[in-house]
Amino acid sequence: MSDIVLKEVSKSYGAVSVLDKVSMHIESGEFIVFLGPSGCGKSTLLRMIAGLEEVTGGEIHLGGQRVDQLPPNERGVAMVFQNYALYPHMTVRNNMSFGLQNVGTPKEEITRRVEDAARMLEITQLLDRKPAQLSGGQRQRVAIGRAIVRDPKAFLLDEPLSNLDAGLRVRTRLELAQLHNRIKATMIFVTHDQTEAMTLATRIVVMNNKRIEQIGTPMEVYSRPATRFVASFVGSPAMNFLPVSAVGEGGSGATFAFSGQSPVQTAVSLAGLPRDNLTLGIRAEAAHVDPNGAIQGVVDVVERLGERTLVYTKLSDGSTLVAEDKGISAVQAGDTIRIALDGNAAMVFDATGKAYHAAR
Amino acid sequence: MIRNYRREVAVAYLLILPFVLTYGILFLWPTIQMVYLSFTDAPLIGPGSWVGLENYYEMFDDRRFWTAVRNTAYFVALTVIPNTLIGLAIAMMVSRLKGWQQSLILAMFFLPYILPVSVVYRLWNWMFNIQFGILQYPISAIAGENINVFRTQWLFMPAVALVTIWWTCGFNILLFLAGLRSISPDIYEAASLDNANRWTIFRRITWPLIWPVTALVLTIQLILQLKIFDQVYLFVQGGRPDPSMVMVQYIYSLAFQKNQGGYGATVAVALFVIVIVFSVLQFQLLRARGEK
Repeated sequence: MSDIVLKEVSKSYGAVSVLDKVSMHIESGEFIVFLGPSGCGKSTLLRMIAGLEEVTGGEIHLGGQRVDQLPPNERGVAMVFQNYALYPHMTVRNNMSFGLQNVGTPKEEITRRVEDAARMLEITQLLDRKPAQLSGGQRQRVAIGRAIVRDPKAFLLDEPLSNLDAGLRVRTRLELAQLHNRIKATMIFVTHDQTEAMTLATRIVVMNNKRIEQIGTPMEVYSRPATRFVASFVGSPAMNFLPVSAVGEGGSGATFAFSGQSPVQTAVSLAGLPRDNLTLGIRAEAAHVDPNGAIQGVVDVVERLGERTLVYTKLSDGSTLVAEDKGISAVQAGDTIRIALDGNAAMVFDATGKAYHAAR
Repeated sequence: MIRNYRREVAVAYLLILPFVLTYGILFLWPTIQMVYLSFTDAPLIGPGSWVGLENYYEMFDDRRFWTAVRNTAYFVALTVIPNTLIGLAIAMMVSRLKGWQQSLILAMFFLPYILPVSVVYRLWNWMFNIQFGILQYPISAIAGENINVFRTQWLFMPAVALVTIWWTCGFNILLFLAGLRSISPDIYEAASLDNANRWTIFRRITWPLIWPVTALVLTIQLILQLKIFDQVYLFVQGGRPDPSMVMVQYIYSLAFQKNQGGYGATVAVALFVIVIVFSVLQFQLLRARGEK
């Protein structure tokens, strides 16, 4: 078993706190993604699990053993660094076997493991080259290979795709998912890219400003964000936020009025909602260009993405609403259009950013 | 942009002209003159007559010349490798410090390097002084009595080597520190996850990665120490110079004290050849080792 438990883990540099009482339980074999903007503490948290940063407070348990006071090598984790951190003077083979040599693994065993990993990652023909003779994608594979040969309890990956070009990034992402399916190891992957998080994770840990905002499966995080931050950070285009006031309870939930438009019926229950400073959150895919829609606005920008069209619409109070239209859309900038909102997909945020969803 | 190639070349020549002139007048011409002089019996001032290879035959039979070569080689052996290793060791310690502490310690190690040799001589001559020198405490504790280090033949070279290392080590530390800083901290982190202990990290990571700097430091040291003169000249004052004579000192003594400009030039040519052959050879060897 190689589950990872964090208990109120904190980190501060002098008076500056960078992580504040973070707790979570990562099951053995999970692919966990730490997602958040730069500076949110996600890399620091990963490095604390690796043992490269000291823990200021709290506990870290790995496979049932408390590890937060152990040096990195005694924790049984392997890390893939953002810039790969390959040993530049060693061949790929030596890069991969270095860790095994240091624990006195027999030679034949090392050769077997290195060659197995190289075959799995299709880098056998590169084993006698040095890192400088490899492309970015190849270096990345070597870095992963170096982690695999050690057969660690957990893989820690610190933004490993960020130095690859766009096409390679997508391909490597897919290969990482396949790799995880094959070796079923616990993996923690740090990124600020929500697409990577959505596609790879079994669960996403959304972090912001020293804290965990939400832990959930990709679809939970996407469709039922716990806070306004999560709602705005996950999903592209970003969720629409419209200042609203509650006007009453309809058949399935509360109705909200905004910007002089006709009220929107949602599935969010009025009970428990604060009265003031409410914001309606709705994704573009729940706002469709529709001649019979309740909302009226003037088109500002049209983004044609091929399979769909994003229509940035200015409402009468100056706020912007991004709506979707079909791929081949007749809408032009400057047009006055009507938009239909799917109130069942809408959510409400209070002044503190807490989200209120429809009952499941 | 359309570029005027001729014009660019003309400007380039114009820009390097001052250097080429200075180099030619101050280095190339005197060097050629020196080689020419080594085939003559010229005194210190004025020309001499052509004697062919006579000076060279004389040099190979000259007992004092070989003493100077031996002493120089001994001094090189005492300084070059120890100075390099000490520089690396101190640089590795300094690099573990952070911020102002690092700057302060580095400045303290570098301070001797900016001192003129005359000051270095005065300092150490006082410290080794047979009656009042502070170093006589440890010396008498070991030897049982005070020793006049610079008048004791077998101690002379090691003592001068010690002073030289103290004096010049700061520069090597600086070079090594720059080299150590260029190693990405990620690599050390990766090594710590790879179960490498301190000694393994030094042997398999730091040492190979710092090797190009080590090769450079060794070569600079070799060239510098082959040309040893000032320290030996100063510390030998009042004693017998012959047994501890080094090559540059011998050249000086021939040309400026014995009025043998031609023969002095011959020994100088010999030193010139030794420096070039050894430094080029060493640098190439070291580089080759690094690439292996």
